[in-house]
Amino acid sequence: MTLALREMRRRPGRFAIATVILTLIAILLMFLGGLLDGLVASSTGAFRSQQADLLVYSTSSRNSLERSRITPEVRQQVETVPGVARVGGLGSVQLGGRVPGRGPRDLVPTVLFGYELASRGLPAMPPAMGTVYADDSLRASNVTIGTTIHLGPARSAVTVAGFVSDTRYSGQGTLWGSLDTWRQVLNANRPDARVGPGVVQALVVRSGPGGTTGLPARIGQATGGAATALTIAQAIDALPGVAQQRSVFNQIIGVTVVIAVVVVALFFALLTVERTALYGVLKAIGSSSRTLFAGVVLQAVIVALIASLIGIVASLVLDALIPPGTIPFVATPVRLAASAVILVVAAVIGCTFSLRRVLRIDPAAAIGGTP
Amino acid sequence: MFLALHEMGRARGRFGLLIGAVGLLVFLILTQQAIQNGLITGFVGAIRQQSAPVLVYSVDGQRTLQGSVINPGLEATIRAVAGVTQAGRVGQDTFTVRVDSGAESDAALIGFEHPGLGDPGHLSAGRSPQSPTEAVGSASDFTLGSRVRVVSSGGADPTGPVFTVVGLVKDAQIQVTPTLFVPWAGYEAAVRAANPDATTVLPNVIAVRPASGVSDAALAQRINAASPDADALTRAQAARDTPGVAQVQQSFTLIFVLFGLVVPLVTGLFFLIITFQKAAALTLLRAIGARSGTLVRSLLIQVVLVIVGGIAIGIALFVPLTLVQLGSLTVRFDPVAVLVWSGLLLALGVASAMVAARRVLAIDPLEATTGGGGL
Repeated sequence: MTLALREMRRRPGRFAIATVILTLIAILLMFLGGLLDGLVASSTGAFRSQQADLLVYSTSSRNSLERSRITPEVRQQVETVPGVARVGGLGSVQLGGRVPGRGPRDLVPTVLFGYELASRGLPAMPPAMGTVYADDSLRASNVTIGTTIHLGPARSAVTVAGFVSDTRYSGQGTLWGSLDTWRQVLNANRPDARVGPGVVQALVVRSGPGGTTGLPARIGQATGGAATALTIAQAIDALPGVAQQRSVFNQIIGVTVVIAVVVVALFFALLTVERTALYGVLKAIGSSSRTLFAGVVLQAVIVALIASLIGIVASLVLDALIPPGTIPFVATPVRLAASAVILVVAAVIGCTFSLRRVLRIDPAAAIGGTP
Repeated sequence: MFLALHEMGRARGRFGLLIGAVGLLVFLILTQQAIQNGLITGFVGAIRQQSAPVLVYSVDGQRTLQGSVINPGLEATIRAVAGVTQAGRVGQDTFTVRVDSGAESDAALIGFEHPGLGDPGHLSAGRSPQSPTEAVGSASDFTLGSRVRVVSSGGADPTGPVFTVVGLVKDAQIQVTPTLFVPWAGYEAAVRAANPDATTVLPNVIAVRPASGVSDAALAQRINAASPDADALTRAQAARDTPGVAQVQQSFTLIFVLFGLVVPLVTGLFFLIITFQKAAALTLLRAIGARSGTLVRSLLIQVVLVIVGGIAIGIALFVPLTLVQLGSLTVRFDPVAVLVWSGLLLALGVASAMVAARRVLAIDPLEATTGGGGL
């Protein structure tokens, strides 16, 4: 062990290129992961913030909030289902917002939500007609408390009363108001998507003490198949592109990890070949294969840790430098730590390819004697 | 040449690992390039393939087809602009549909008022719609003769309108969703079936054609000057400026730069270490008369063989992926992209081996007589 550390201290240049390559791979892993997290976070915040167990859509909408329509009759059926504690309506509309101080063509993309059951950070009672709470990502667009935003071609005015965090939806900042505010704004701006009195796009359901076991099926039955209930996690996965983004990015991250394994394997295999005679001498004077291999693993772990550390710093710098609204990159501690752990594990796996070579070294042959 | 090949033959393991690593990297680069192209085509293919040279959005739409709404006042202003020879409504929305007797799925419908203005320009099969119940479908998602029923939410048409696919067009999706181009009347029927509460079906954009002598860009400028609520874009601008397209390109560019750096670094590292390991043998070869040019040539031959081998493996892994449809995404083998990446990686790989080549050139044959030979 001491020998391995001393070699790294005395000949750092030997490990520099491998460290540079692994650093690039670490940055790649963290960037890909951060991109995935950013994309998912900006699409799903409105659902993740729900303090509820289920979201209920009309079955014909195929779990699309925008296409779903829940009539008052269906709502009444859901409310009577055993196990349902509370039910609230939810509606959304995506509109450009005119914010004071910005140019006439410089609109801010927003999603106005109407709610009854408050999600995290919102007041339990929805704000008065024409008043909304804004996602704090909209602060970057000059939105402050008291700002009046004019939404859509009808210039529907809503005034910001406060802010909530991490509630973005479809990559856009959200505004949260009452169902009446939402209905009025929707009907004024999107006549093709207008809703009748009492109609909402989805229902937010809080379950009773029995939990959600069997509840979605009972809701489906009670509404004669007109409504479909999803857990919040299922509703997030059903959002357009979320599951596909996760799948594609995780596959790319997986192949990148395989490349990291191959790079480490290649590098330490070459180092081991180079050290064959040295290992032979060490074995001849009593070192075990286990000790020698532990030294190789230690060096691989240190190289991976240094690469991870640089990768983490680079990711944090990148996160700070990327302007809001461009690349949806976010560096979370969980993602950075997970990427570092994955890289260290890949390094350990990679250097195990050298194990066979270390085991095969015959001390006598290595130092020039006859085996 | 003999030395280079002989060495590779004797050290199959290490060269095999390197070729494998380069192959995986090439596979990843080509796959991501294809995914990027497929995503962008899936996002805005329909805008590229539609026939109108200029599309007028409302400023509120933020250059999103589905998000834009043209009210009657704005429509009248656009139609009255000097230089507009023809204008037609275009609408777009996403619907739950049932194709033939299959399960329910999603489809985007693009409704156009006038043939030749918002419908697909070049069909890959079949013909253009001649009645409100006929449609042209994206070729990767529909077949000629398919019957597509829009699932109704009740109201006046409880069964929902049915469209028969009479034509196909390649690369014509919008929002990475199977897409149908239908006449305006059919589109209106679909909107009303999906939302019985809809009072009016307004167009999302107005497609316009410039008069003779007026360029597309000039007409777009005139329309934008006529109303602060109009956002007129040429076809290419509309596709390029759709939200999400630039972000996809920026994100993938960063990924490509990182992967592009890893390939030469891995290759360079490998050959540098190999050169260090062979120091004594190379010094001896120089001492017995081998020219440094010969040794460098041998090194470069190995580099080229490794990169070419890696590219071949990468392409071999990539080709099967292009033969299947990834969900709604079409991942296509683009020979130009493959050639460009192959050339670039080969050049970068050879350049990265220059450090090792410099070491070879620096070998002093005299070292062989002193028992040295280190680099």
